[in-house]
Amino acid sequence: MENKLREIQLRVMQSIEEARQSANLEQIRVSILGKKGELTGLLRGMGKLPPEERPKMGQLVNDVRAAIEEKLEARAAELKEKEKAARLESEAIDVTLPGPERGAGSLHPMNIALQKMIEIFVGMGYEAVEGPEVEFDHYNFELLNIPKNHPARDAQDTFYVDDNIVLRTHTSPVQARIMTTRKPPIRVICPGRVYRADEADATHSPVFHQMEGLVIDENITMGDLKGTLDEFARQMFGEGIRTRFRPSFFPFTEPSAEVDLTCANCRGEGCRMCKGTGWIEVLGAGMVNPRVLEMCGIDSTKYSGFAFGMGVERMALLKYNIPNLRYLYENDLRFLTQYR
Amino acid sequence: MKVPMKWLKEYVDIDMSAEEYASRMVMTGTAVEGVDKTGEQFDKVVVGKVLSCVDHPNSDHLHICMVDVGGEEPLQIVCGAPNVHEGMRVAAALDGAHLPGGVKIKKGKMRGEVSMGMLCSGPELDVPAGLYPHIGDEGIIEIFEDVAPGTDVKEVFGLGDDIIDFEILANRPDCLSVWGLARESSAVLENHFVMPEIAVEEKGTGTFDDYAKVKVLDDVTCPRYCARIVTNVKIGPSPKWMREYLYGAGVRPINNIVDITNFVMLETGHPMHAFDLSKVKDQTIVVRRAKAGEHLTTLDGKEHVLDESMLVIADNENATGLAGIMGGEESEIVNDTASVLFECAAFERANNRVTARKLGIRTESSGRFEKGVCPDTAMEALNRACMLVNMLECGDVVPGAYDNYPRPQETKEIDASVSRICRRIGVNVPGEVMEDILNRLYIDTTLVGEDTLHCVFPAYRQDMENEADVSEEVLRMYGYDHIPSTLMNAVTMPGYRNEKLVFNDRVKAALVGMGLYEVLNYSFISPKWIDKLNLPEDDARRNAVVLRNPLGEDTSVMRTSLVPSMLNTVAANLNRGIGEGMLFELSKTFVPAETAGELPAERNALCVGIFGGDADFYTVKNIVTWLLAKFGVTATIATAGDAYYHPGRKAVMDVEGKQIAALGEIHPDVAEAFDISGKRVYVAEIDLDALRPLEKDFYGVKPLPKFPAVSRDIAVVVDEAVGAGTMMDAIRKAAGKTLEDVKLFDIYRGDKLGKGKKSVAYAITLRAADRTLTDEEINNTMEKVLKALNTQFGAELRA
Repeated sequence: MENKLREIQLRVMQSIEEARQSANLEQIRVSILGKKGELTGLLRGMGKLPPEERPKMGQLVNDVRAAIEEKLEARAAELKEKEKAARLESEAIDVTLPGPERGAGSLHPMNIALQKMIEIFVGMGYEAVEGPEVEFDHYNFELLNIPKNHPARDAQDTFYVDDNIVLRTHTSPVQARIMTTRKPPIRVICPGRVYRADEADATHSPVFHQMEGLVIDENITMGDLKGTLDEFARQMFGEGIRTRFRPSFFPFTEPSAEVDLTCANCRGEGCRMCKGTGWIEVLGAGMVNPRVLEMCGIDSTKYSGFAFGMGVERMALLKYNIPNLRYLYENDLRFLTQYR
Repeated sequence: MKVPMKWLKEYVDIDMSAEEYASRMVMTGTAVEGVDKTGEQFDKVVVGKVLSCVDHPNSDHLHICMVDVGGEEPLQIVCGAPNVHEGMRVAAALDGAHLPGGVKIKKGKMRGEVSMGMLCSGPELDVPAGLYPHIGDEGIIEIFEDVAPGTDVKEVFGLGDDIIDFEILANRPDCLSVWGLARESSAVLENHFVMPEIAVEEKGTGTFDDYAKVKVLDDVTCPRYCARIVTNVKIGPSPKWMREYLYGAGVRPINNIVDITNFVMLETGHPMHAFDLSKVKDQTIVVRRAKAGEHLTTLDGKEHVLDESMLVIADNENATGLAGIMGGEESEIVNDTASVLFECAAFERANNRVTARKLGIRTESSGRFEKGVCPDTAMEALNRACMLVNMLECGDVVPGAYDNYPRPQETKEIDASVSRICRRIGVNVPGEVMEDILNRLYIDTTLVGEDTLHCVFPAYRQDMENEADVSEEVLRMYGYDHIPSTLMNAVTMPGYRNEKLVFNDRVKAALVGMGLYEVLNYSFISPKWIDKLNLPEDDARRNAVVLRNPLGEDTSVMRTSLVPSMLNTVAANLNRGIGEGMLFELSKTFVPAETAGELPAERNALCVGIFGGDADFYTVKNIVTWLLAKFGVTATIATAGDAYYHPGRKAVMDVEGKQIAALGEIHPDVAEAFDISGKRVYVAEIDLDALRPLEKDFYGVKPLPKFPAVSRDIAVVVDEAVGAGTMMDAIRKAAGKTLEDVKLFDIYRGDKLGKGKKSVAYAITLRAADRTLTDEEINNTMEKVLKALNTQFGAELRA
């Protein structure tokens, strides 16, 4: 019997070693250790042994059983590991294969620029407000110190609906509406669509967007205007972008300034984009003309303020290096999908 | 305004390059468009002397000339001009010369004879007739002066000067003149401006009144009228310096009298007019408003019909010119003009502008009057013209002048505060420095005490009114580069976007998340595009805000719907070969006001457009449904909508009986009208103004379920016409409180079901929040559902 046991142990150990799949191991386990298994059978046959041999043989059978079980377990773990490795290997895919086509979607680049602009000023404590696009001449021109038949109107070729109603030529009428209805302190930005009777070309569009800003408070200086626009330039175009103020004329500001930004393309070195000057003209600004304040019912001896206005398309063109303003209104998906 | 540097330098020292000067002017507020040179259109053209001129042996019109061009040897040049002759001084373009129009001169052979260059005519050099005597005549240019051969012809013609092209802003009409700019330059460069002393030498007998009569009948529209007479006029070319200045300023030289009026206009800013006095009827000039319907033919030969708002220059009977805009034909200066009446007047800005606009005329003169011409200096300008007559010896200036100036301009003066100016500009400029700057600008300023600047503005500075104006003068001269960069010291204010902007941004973000691209279209469209939508005649969308002066028909009315622009966008992309796309536009539509003179209503609108790919009706329906869901809104849907949608594939979505969206496939006829072919287009229109107030506040979460759910499938057979979604709504209603979810999972059509029938299968999930549902409860609910489907839709349980 002992020999028989040794023979079983040897044979089983051998076949466990040779098993290639977890399932084989299970077969082995059943055939040896199962209810009808060989070893179980041997154990059952113990009754035929003389009683004094029984403990020894019992011990032996248990040892063999334990050895087989241990081996089975070890081999099972080994095989499982192997099988997992094989499965993982077989599951390898071509990661360079493009995924199923799915539209990513995007905002229009003009609005991407506008949202960024709004965000910058909201962060500086401005309220973003809107107003009508079809507007009274009174708000669009007269309250802004541009009376009827004033040549300053030439600079803004205007679409008329009737004698007193125009398509607003700038978002300044929103400022006029705010100034006539609110008391200082005022700190607003006015984004929106504006209209000028210009034929569309690489730099003009009869419909475009502006964002103007207005601050009215006590002791506001032109330095505050410059500081504000410097901060805007930094956040919009990056560190190292500064403003340069040049004297100019707008009927609703005094003093007025044309504001240049460091050319973001060459960072001021001078390149083709900035015609070698290192500066790009981007916006108009100035201290609100006291006449405008008075016309809007604000005490100009107590309050001062600044205003600025910028073209959103112009910002988008500069920020995204768009070569032609027409791109923005042609809605060519080959262009739009570049922003996804 | 183009100004030759030489002309400016007559009155102010400019000791730097034109570019540096231009940059100094720009940084102090006088914009410069560019710096050019006259005569840049050609080079290597020199004075040549024709030593001999013989006929070309192989030609009936060419000549072979030996021309001394200042070199060691004379050059042989073949010339075809009939006026070439021995001894003539000519303009010779040498080998390698560049001429206008991209012409390059090369030595070569003409009909077998060597030619080392070309003898030029005026047009070949693109120099105007009038710049040099006879330059406009047939043939090559003859140079009459004794100039050494080899001299650059630019010297002879007075070319090669730097021309500064100033862009004068609307507030500084005084700078639309050489004197004004010289004055401004002197302030910028801290130099002196030297104006010529104006002295007129009068000659002859009698005074103005003996020669002519002026009657100003409207001295409001014509606040000043000055006139003088010149007799014994000898019309001829003006001197070289004057021609050179005029040409540099972009004005064609004509003859001495006309040139004097143009020269004075450019130099002083005062438009002038010269009348041939003998052609002025009764030698009487009347300044009056036109009669309604009065006819007038202007110098350019155009006939105009006038109205009573227009100011005219007339004789005793008829209008002869438009005051300050354009003269008439009759009294034009001609070669035999013998006596001249010079007019120098001031006309009211707005009136001048309105008249010029109405008649569609824009002249140098009208442009100046509408920007503002200072009446105070009119007589000075007129005398400058007479002084030039003396200088040019082209006539006798009659003693005396006519001057009607009933209400001379009052001198404006203000007190400004140094400290307030400093606060405004954010720069601390000492009072003395301000005083000095302002005086340099000819603003007569005295610093009184420490803080008060007493400023007296010169008459021509019509833009100066208040302390803010003074602050700008100080700052621009002191230098804008001194402005510090500070952030305001003020109360903190909350920054935020208004509710509508936030809402619109959320709508856009949701659509972008669903893979749509935002497009931008013009707000104005063609009324024809609305026609293409096949709307009923009385549809409100046919009533649009109309522009009075559109750029063209395609942009002439404000949009009442975003759909036409969307369809054009789709068509454009299909034309570009882009086969599919998902687009949206969020913009305004404009509804005309019911009362005239009121502003239109501006509606916040959204349009979705989808084409190509595997898109169908349900793609666009899902987009709308999901968008509404973002705002906590569920809508009911029914087949309905505008005729521009496919009759069987269109729907409107309502919330509480109010339409919030319309959607569907575009009708093939409408698609065709918009040049869309080969692809179906799906459109949705969402009324954002209606959606925004429906948004439900997020009030808290439902507790997570504690008890198990059960699922039951049900398949029913119904008529084809029954809406699967409508049945779903009925299931929801019938199942009651314990319904957790219902999903449609199969629609089957087959012979076994019979024609016009379909089987629709739903998976129904039931759950109670407080207990495990019993079989009995579940069966009851399912029976109710089946019964509801049966009674409402005739549905039978599928066998």
